[in-house]
Amino acid sequence: MTAVDNTFNLPGQRAPLVTGKADYATITQDVCAIAEQHRPPRSWYIAFAVSVATLGVLGAAIVYLITTGIGVWGNNSPAFWGFDIVNFVFWVGIGHAGTLISAILFLFRQQWRTSINRMAEAMTIFAVMCAGLFPAIHVGRVWLIYWLAPYPNWLAMWPNFRSPLLWDVFAVSTYATVSALFWYLGMIPDLATLRDRAQTPIRRMAYGLFALGWTGSARAWHHYERAYLLLAALATPLVLSVHSVVSFDFAVSQVPGWHTTVFPPYFVAGAIFSGFAMVITLAVPARAYFGLKHLITPRHLENICKVILVTSLMVGYAYSIELFTAWYSQNPYESFLFLGNRPFGPYGVFYWIMVTCNVVIPQLFWFKKCRTTAWIMVVIAILVNVGMWMERFVIMMSLTRDFLPSSWGLFIPTPIDIVMFIGSFGLFFTLFLLFCRYLPVVAMAEVKTVLPHGHQP
Amino acid sequence: MPSIDPSRNSAPRLWRSLAELDDAPQFRAFLEAEFPEALDATSVDRRRWLQIMGASFALSAVAGCEAQRKEILPFARRPEGRVPGRPDRYATAMDLSGSAVGLLVTCMDGRPLKVEGNPLHPQSLGASHALAQAAILELYDPDRSQYPVERTAQGAIVHAGDGQQDPWARFDEFMRAQMTSAHERRGASVYVLSEASSSPTLARLRDAWLAQLPESRWVEYDPLTDDNALAGTQLAFGKPLTTQLVLEQARVIVCIDADVLADHPAALQHTRAFAQGREIVDGTMNRLYVVESGLSITGAAADHRLPLRPSQVPAFVGELAAAIERGDAGAAGSDTSAAAAPHVQKFIQVLAQDLAAHRGRCVVAVGAHQPPAVQAAVHRLNALLGNVGHTVRYTAGPRAQRGSHVEAIRQLAAAMRDGQVQTLLILGGNPVYDAPADVDFAAGLDQVPSTVHVGLYRNETARRCLWHVPQAHFLESWGDARSWDGTYSVVQPMIAPLYGGRTPVEIVARLLGEPLPKSDELVKATLQALAGDQFSEKLWRQCVHDGLWADSAWPAETVPDVSVRDLPADLPAAAAEGSLELVLMRDASVYDGRFANISWLQECPDPMTKLTWDNAAIMSPATARALQVADESRVRLESGGRSVEAPVYVMPGWADGVVGLALGYGRVAAGSVGGLEEAGVAPVGANAYQVRTSQAMYTVADLKVEGLPGRFPLSSTQDHHAIDAVGLQERARRVPTLVREASLDHFLHHPDFVQHVTHEPASLESMWTELPYDGHKWGMAIDLTKCIGCSACVVACQAENNVPVVGKEQIKRGREMHWIRIDRYFQGDAEHPEEIQVAMQPVACQQCELAPCEQVCPVAATVHSSEGLNDMVYNRCIGTRYCANNCPYKVRRFNYFNYHKDLQDPRREVSKMVFNPDVTVRARGVMEKCTYCVQRIQAVKIDTRNAGQPIPDGAIRTACQQACPAQAIVFGDLADAQAQVSRQHGDDRAYRMLGELNVKPRTAYLARIRNPHPDLASASPPAGAGHS
Repeated sequence: MTAVDNTFNLPGQRAPLVTGKADYATITQDVCAIAEQHRPPRSWYIAFAVSVATLGVLGAAIVYLITTGIGVWGNNSPAFWGFDIVNFVFWVGIGHAGTLISAILFLFRQQWRTSINRMAEAMTIFAVMCAGLFPAIHVGRVWLIYWLAPYPNWLAMWPNFRSPLLWDVFAVSTYATVSALFWYLGMIPDLATLRDRAQTPIRRMAYGLFALGWTGSARAWHHYERAYLLLAALATPLVLSVHSVVSFDFAVSQVPGWHTTVFPPYFVAGAIFSGFAMVITLAVPARAYFGLKHLITPRHLENICKVILVTSLMVGYAYSIELFTAWYSQNPYESFLFLGNRPFGPYGVFYWIMVTCNVVIPQLFWFKKCRTTAWIMVVIAILVNVGMWMERFVIMMSLTRDFLPSSWGLFIPTPIDIVMFIGSFGLFFTLFLLFCRYLPVVAMAEVKTVLPHGHQP
Repeated sequence: MPSIDPSRNSAPRLWRSLAELDDAPQFRAFLEAEFPEALDATSVDRRRWLQIMGASFALSAVAGCEAQRKEILPFARRPEGRVPGRPDRYATAMDLSGSAVGLLVTCMDGRPLKVEGNPLHPQSLGASHALAQAAILELYDPDRSQYPVERTAQGAIVHAGDGQQDPWARFDEFMRAQMTSAHERRGASVYVLSEASSSPTLARLRDAWLAQLPESRWVEYDPLTDDNALAGTQLAFGKPLTTQLVLEQARVIVCIDADVLADHPAALQHTRAFAQGREIVDGTMNRLYVVESGLSITGAAADHRLPLRPSQVPAFVGELAAAIERGDAGAAGSDTSAAAAPHVQKFIQVLAQDLAAHRGRCVVAVGAHQPPAVQAAVHRLNALLGNVGHTVRYTAGPRAQRGSHVEAIRQLAAAMRDGQVQTLLILGGNPVYDAPADVDFAAGLDQVPSTVHVGLYRNETARRCLWHVPQAHFLESWGDARSWDGTYSVVQPMIAPLYGGRTPVEIVARLLGEPLPKSDELVKATLQALAGDQFSEKLWRQCVHDGLWADSAWPAETVPDVSVRDLPADLPAAAAEGSLELVLMRDASVYDGRFANISWLQECPDPMTKLTWDNAAIMSPATARALQVADESRVRLESGGRSVEAPVYVMPGWADGVVGLALGYGRVAAGSVGGLEEAGVAPVGANAYQVRTSQAMYTVADLKVEGLPGRFPLSSTQDHHAIDAVGLQERARRVPTLVREASLDHFLHHPDFVQHVTHEPASLESMWTELPYDGHKWGMAIDLTKCIGCSACVVACQAENNVPVVGKEQIKRGREMHWIRIDRYFQGDAEHPEEIQVAMQPVACQQCELAPCEQVCPVAATVHSSEGLNDMVYNRCIGTRYCANNCPYKVRRFNYFNYHKDLQDPRREVSKMVFNPDVTVRARGVMEKCTYCVQRIQAVKIDTRNAGQPIPDGAIRTACQQACPAQAIVFGDLADAQAQVSRQHGDDRAYRMLGELNVKPRTAYLARIRNPHPDLASASPPAGAGHS
């Protein structure tokens, strides 16, 4: 960690959000340098090559899936959904932290967000893209997927507005749109900076196009900040709604283990939990790699760890409430599912991995050492993401034992299932590496507002 | 006769692959002969080319017509009464192992589509079994033999004809030479081996044959022979007789190693009679006791079941007889043999009392697996109980006179080995595969210089014969048959032979010197001979129309009273305790192996094991533990130096110390479905004939089981994977709420018991407004007291609704497509086979009023119809599969792949003819499910509306309902309070499965009522539904 400890939080004394001798010029220089390198380091190329290769495998698997049929996955009867929807919910969950950081923390004036919001928002958008991919390709006849849209047509057919899956389409697409807009809007001043510093006509052209003629005038700033605030207000309910709606896919159905009223808040908490874990996973290596330790400081990381700890407790509470409700309701199907099948059934080991990773391990964040030691928090964050994937998997496997024992079955993933899950990381990291290569990874304009002017020791 | 046919010879050519044509030098020759201009196509202009082509095709069609065939009017003029697109129904009969079932075949535009039972036929009564349902797929099987094949030193030559020449010419020439020399020898060293056939015409021709060639021999062999039954009547009555069970008269039915409801030529009629006896009339119903080694369909239907090893059965029969006699003599019926276990003693004691209390109204049946002495002892029992003439009748008839099949095949094989056979004509069957292993039929066959096989497929036997010629399918041919009770049926063709096959009757008639036999004339002549004075053209027409000659059943024979006679008392002794016995069983799907290439049957789950695409060594949990094997372990079953390797399937209810293995698997020349060595298609299952000897056709003693390394994956449609303890416990808790049961006594005292099995809140409210109905409200009721789980409905649905076959791997994955399935649950302690009870429950779409599937479909592809059906709109479905997740009954099926992809193979073109044109063939990525046969509903609605009449109750019959031999399924209009379905919905026993979910299913189940004997009730679950 850096020499300066900014993780104290004494009343009356604010710890600095940016450490070291940073000023406007060095911040611009440090951040823009990443995007302006002539040739990125070899390690970027290696990482990019691996990511693109993985993405290519994903693409090939998608082609195989679409030309052959959903049967290339392990989905069956009764588990009509499998890795497809598990991955969808997993990625949507990850795609939660960014907008939460940028919108909700913005509204709450949590200024520590400024160092990490750009990266977190990028992560959100890429995660939502990964998420959107799975439901799109999981339908049996992907070439007719536009029927999900309520467009006027000669069949005079509307989609079924009673279906949570349709709500899902709206929720996720709205979320993706607003998140992307929000991210882009926040980036405009920084894109203008890159435009102004551009050395080649192509870069000037490209950045200039997206900077939308930003001049940095007071008037422009005025409009910009109004718009940003409005979008933040618009995005805030979406943070809560999108995962609530995703949870409706399950909660509105009548499958034991899905049909639970606790799902919306539980899913939102879980999503924030996994999203913040992903921010740690990405930010810790990135700040070391790009030399941004003075911008993304231990204080930022510690705050994230605290959020993870809180959401872990919420998720743990939801787990216990599920068990309590199953017992208290005396609904035989739910009792069996929650008290018998989930912990002790064929997928019991995944349940216990889930509990360990999501409830037990994050308790380490009660210790300051764990909240401030980079490698410990990365390990915990990765375990949290493993646990959250398991959570969705465990929920999905409720399908394998629903009402009629004659129809019980097992879901066993095929190699294609696994390849496509890994391939989705290829998509994610390809996009993320491109983002790091070409766009400002830290919101320069915003960080400059939290510089400790004149307070440097 | 409806027939398409114009170009028999050119038609099959279409099905052949281009590759085949490419390689064949004959093709070039053919092309040259057929289209001389084609070789130099550049020299003619397009117009000329088309003229030649058109003329050539027309001529080839003409050339294809065989001279002997009576030509039917071409479709240039529509036959009277024929409306295109409207189905016609014709009666016919299916002969299986020498016993026929009357059928009614639906043909659409000259193409047979669906097999149903013939309601007029006493052995069908409108019902059918799975094998009959699947006959339609056999008809259109592209793997069927298409041309005569001659085996030469250079390999097999397929005589496909060259467009001009009759493909059969070479064969006919060969046979002429054979017959000339045979006549010179007066038939010496000429043998005919026929599969079991009840055809009186074939019998007539056989007599003519033997008259012409007095030195020749004509023998019959059927691998599933009931030799023992005939030998038993011989032993008891001094003459071979056929035993007719009159189950409708029987209040107490005892089946000793006899699966009378499934593995019996009269099973359909038995099932109907049994099911009717299950109806509660005046507070009583019939009672079924079953003593068996395995767990059969009849055993599953039993009120009391006693598992015994096959070798323990003779002693049981002896003790039962003794107990009845003691009872007659007034002695205390308690001291049965001390050797028997207490529960067996108790069983015998109660059974003897129950039988004695129902003299003349009970029946004891014994299966053909048991030795003749046991058969005779059972005949004596029936006599003792005064059942003869009431619940048991004996008939003579040619069937009983046929002699021993086993002896016949043994003598034939011996004669062949000794070089005494010069010419062997095999009419159907597959003895190389299914003859007892010890007679070594194949080795004998190789000694015979001239061998001819007539068969539907070029099977194992055909491949070892000098000649193989294609047989016409029974749906393509004229013929006749007699059913178990002797009723005479006429078999009429639904379509001209697709592959130009001939029937055994035609072949024999031709060999007898009739150059162009007209098989309908031959059949008519038989009827004339049978009917004598009664014969008239009208009778013939009536027989063809009705499919049977009414009242032609054999009369009951008067038999000597054997109750007092001491029959040979040397009942076989039980095998030593601790030794293993192997039971060889008829398979519910492939029968004796002849249906191995019928994918519907291969994929139809076995009613008891639910296994598809395999047989397995079935054994009880205790036996498996003793042998240290588990499900899917590989074992070698060995006895007397013969062995077979099979996977293990552990099933409760089997007698300990018994291993069961179904016959009919392990075919190496069945076809591309059932196994074809030369094409690299692995055999399906294990060939149990390898351990079957003429001494031990059904029960193999001194079995040794050796565990082999590795596992063999089995595909079952239920319990796809082993269930852990948590799941087993829950299943046991849940089953009684799903399949509700009570004893008769409990039901009579608590007629509303069914409402108290689960807690259903009094007022369940829906989130959605329920639809109002001002017209029809379709509904179904399934009576679990009647259903025996025979699976005829499963195959009937598959045939009616174009349900695809997915194959073993997909079943293993859990992706079977059957629209109706039969859930089979065990109840009782698996460690005590005698306590095991089986519950059967057919489950198809319940057409919920508040359908959970409808609510969640994002594109509204599944919606409610104005008549209460839960409609599935295939072309709207995009395949999110959400509906299936939300279906609590898991009846929705998803097309994970294009399951009809194989039809793109040009050789499978003919397979497309099997599709019902009234039902969409579903694409990949689409959900499907039971529709209550909406196409049948619509057809009747249109007809009645045109006639301006209301739809009468019972006019609409779903495919499953129509096939059901037990009449357990009732369909109709719930808006009509008088309809049978409405009355059943209002029955005391009616309940809705998972009714507490408030989905309001349209299918009601009628609780299963068992009728245990009060004194044996401890062995059965507690009265009411609270057992597991």
